Amino acid sequence: MSVYDFTAKTIRGEEKSLGEYKGKVLLVVNTASKCGFTPQYEELQALYLKYKEQGLVILGFPSNQFAEQEPGTNEEVQQFCKVNFGVTFPLFAKGDVRGDTAQPLFKYLTEKLAFKGFDESHPVAKPLQEALQSKFPAYLEGDSIKWNFTKFLVNREGEAVGRYEPTTLPSQMAGDIERLLS
Amino acid sequence: MVKVYSIPDCPWCHKVKKYLQARGVAYQEFNVEEDDAARDELYKIAGDLTVPVTTIDGINYVLSFDKAKLDALLGLA
Repeated sequence: MSVYDFTAKTIRGEEKSLGEYKGKVLLVVNTASKCGFTPQYEELQALYLKYKEQGLVILGFPSNQFAEQEPGTNEEVQQFCKVNFGVTFPLFAKGDVRGDTAQPLFKYLTEKLAFKGFDESHPVAKPLQEALQSKFPAYLEGDSIKWNFTKFLVNREGEAVGRYEPTTLPSQMAGDIERLLS
Repeated sequence: MVKVYSIPDCPWCHKVKKYLQARGVAYQEFNVEEDDAARDELYKIAGDLTVPVTTIDGINYVLSFDKAKLDALLGLA
């Protein structure tokens, strides 16, 4: 089984088979579905622009399962929204990524790659852990998606090979991405 | 005709529309994530793909929900 066995609905409502991405290195990420949380979107877009010629495609899956809060960040809330979150990589339709209603692709990815904890060195790790413990303790159980911006790397043969929690910034993934692209 | 360029799940777009309705201002809404022509218009007007953008003449526009600027643009008290 590989990610190529899955289809997903794009943000425009078309069914797309992930087999169309054979040969590419994929970064699959569940994103916030309401606008206003841009730092990781901007980093993802920067990664995309940097590596797309070499074969990286980023696939964004918006979901509204995570209360639309970014714990621990004190960013000023911008008073407008960017179309398509300001990114040019493929976006899919809003859907669930955790629990019984999770899309098949995310059930597969979380079964294949376990949750190994948050990167403690990241400033958001502690507030995220605390927010989950107090508001969504069930989310901490098992290998499910814990919050927005959980990222997976898929090699050119469709095998999911890496999982990165929200506490790992897109820019920190450059080394692993370059290895898969080479 | 007042035009509002918006996208779904955009709280400030929602505020603009509610305000226009409350003030009895008729407007035409364009979802720029689905309407490519409207998206191009938005880019021409505002130089960026950010919403909500409210305009009448396609030259002067208000970005976001700014009551004072909307009042000025639309000639409301």
